[in-house]
Amino acid sequence: MLAKIYLLVGIIIIALYGLVTLTGREFGDTERQIVPADVRHSPGGYRSFHFWHSGYRGGK
Amino acid sequence: VIPFEASCPACGAHVQFKTGSSIVVVCDYCNSVVARGDRKLEDLGKVADLVETGSPLDVGLKGSYRGAAFELTGRAQLGHQAGGVWDEWYAAFEDGRWGWLAEAQGRFYITFQQTLPGQSLFPPFEMLELGQPVAAIPGPVQFMVAEKGVARQLGAKGEIPYKLTPGEEYHYADLSGPRGEFATLDYSQMPPLLFTGLEVELYDLGISPSVRAREREARRVEAIHLSCPQCGGPLDLRAPDKTERVTCPNCASLLDVNQGRLKFLKALDPGKVIPVIPLGSEAEFGGIRFTVIGFMQRSVEFDKRYYWEEYLLYNPQEGFRWMVRSDDHWNFVEPLPPGAVSDKGKSAVFNGKRFKLYQDAEARVEHVLGEFYWKVMVGEAVRAADYIRPPDMLSKEVSTVVSAEVAELPAGKAKRGARKTARPAETGEINWSLGTYVKPREVEKRFGISDLPRPSTVAPNQPFPYKGIYLYWLWLMIAAIVVGIALMITGSGRQVFERTYQLQPLAGAEATHVIFSDPFELEPRKNIKVTARAEVDNTWLYAEGDLIEEATGLVQAFSIPVEYYHGVEDGESWSEGGKTASVHLSSLPAGTYTLRLEVSWERWQQPQQLGIKIEQGVPRALHFFLMLLLLSLIPLAVAIYQFSFEKRRWQDSDYSPFS
Repeated sequence: MLAKIYLLVGIIIIALYGLVTLTGREFGDTERQIVPADVRHSPGGYRSFHFWHSGYRGGK
Repeated sequence: VIPFEASCPACGAHVQFKTGSSIVVVCDYCNSVVARGDRKLEDLGKVADLVETGSPLDVGLKGSYRGAAFELTGRAQLGHQAGGVWDEWYAAFEDGRWGWLAEAQGRFYITFQQTLPGQSLFPPFEMLELGQPVAAIPGPVQFMVAEKGVARQLGAKGEIPYKLTPGEEYHYADLSGPRGEFATLDYSQMPPLLFTGLEVELYDLGISPSVRAREREARRVEAIHLSCPQCGGPLDLRAPDKTERVTCPNCASLLDVNQGRLKFLKALDPGKVIPVIPLGSEAEFGGIRFTVIGFMQRSVEFDKRYYWEEYLLYNPQEGFRWMVRSDDHWNFVEPLPPGAVSDKGKSAVFNGKRFKLYQDAEARVEHVLGEFYWKVMVGEAVRAADYIRPPDMLSKEVSTVVSAEVAELPAGKAKRGARKTARPAETGEINWSLGTYVKPREVEKRFGISDLPRPSTVAPNQPFPYKGIYLYWLWLMIAAIVVGIALMITGSGRQVFERTYQLQPLAGAEATHVIFSDPFELEPRKNIKVTARAEVDNTWLYAEGDLIEEATGLVQAFSIPVEYYHGVEDGESWSEGGKTASVHLSSLPAGTYTLRLEVSWERWQQPQQLGIKIEQGVPRALHFFLMLLLLSLIPLAVAIYQFSFEKRRWQDSDYSPFS
């Protein structure tokens, strides 16, 4: 019984892999939003969300 | 051939030698064995009446073997030292040969005497060892000694091709080959006579089973109703032609059976063990219906005494089988020709399959109930070894007897230059059987019983229940690799944008440099890979990016840190990161996009160079290996469980590979 369930799960995993590849899906995407043109074009009116709030503190 | 007719020297009745080469004929009237000599007939004595064994054969029956016609001219019944009888039928072939057709427990063995110049090389009887090959037999078949015993001439009928002496005892050794080959060394004279042949079916002998099947069925199925000589209570014999011992269901006496007559032997403890499958129960295995006629409890001793139960199954046509219950696990057990198995060291080979030694100990009979085809006794012990290859188990039982009485037997017929054996002779037999694991619920179903106790341990030959997963895993891995390769080949990866930017020093540490790219086209349903390359050396550059579709205002944000550090520490060089970094994004709707980058870098006072490349339809090895990992998680867990299962399987063995 477990073997048959595993076979089913395995087929689903391979099918998901095929689906993800064929639709160009990626895991862990950053957010997607709609920013109207007038907002984007206003001087100083637009910044990337992550950069604005966190910046980067890289380094060894 | 003209029949030779004469009068019986004992009773004067008419006797007839129909076959020219027969030596003796048994008088139908007085059972005298009449031998024909050069000048006159000789009376060799009287044989006993034949015991009814339910044989489908009879004197006068005709058949053919490998194209040669024969007629059964005679029958001799021989007594086994352990009790019981077997039949030997003598087949006169039309080409002048004699065939010996032995019948024991429903099996038939046809043999022919071999005249060999090297017979004197055969070892003396006492030098033969059970289970060991007999190298002196020429030919490709390697025979091993399956049984050493003493035969006693009891009854006889018809014409026989040798000088049968009533009551004579002689040593013999039965030999078994790997593919049903059978041989006998007859030590009634020295050097011994060699007979070789095969185990055969009635079909092989040109004898239709239907000829005698109805008669045999009628004879065998009918149980005999008897009274216990100890308590007078009624008891039935379900296999009256085979049973040597029976217990009384009323007083639990162990009784000896001799041609339907019962003799008290011993009082057994009546309530000691109760069989979970009642005697008389029936079950079908392989399309053959068996009846439970006997029950036996046996034991072995290691750190303590371990007990198990054996249920004797009987079918008149097929003979005997066993159901064995040990720790509430069950096995269906069938006998094997001893020569079909070879064992050496800690393994045995049967049908090309290797079995591992699990246990080797002295097994003792503790309790008996019902009927048995040998003279079973409580306390009887044999050497027993089990070899496993789940779901199968090979069992070897070796019983030996060193008997002074046996040692005194003549090693050859007196009239053929017999001599006395010089030292005690060991007799005995080696039996191999093949057990197959049966689940308790299947036992319940087959026997029509319920509530059998369920096992809490792992049986020596219990199959691992999830083994099938490994095969599925293999199939799925092959399928995954094929799918992965197919998608990688058919995937149309392409570069949609590439540009290198020269960045001027920033105004301050918190300042950023903003870049807007030229528009470029993105296709739907294809992932996006953005790669950044910067000339960083023990420093970092950080880019926040947006892919913006001008028409809809859709913004896909991402970030790429590029950092590369290296140095020497304790005399060893090291490095971390790289001058290139990338990020993968899910597909976006088809359209015209621009890239907005907001860049900062650690050494803001210095100019920086940043290369950006955007590709679509990029093969993702990560996804592929993630799929393989996911497919392997359950088999991995099953493998860990199997390791624990196997350790439990071997925990009661002295030959555990885990110790």
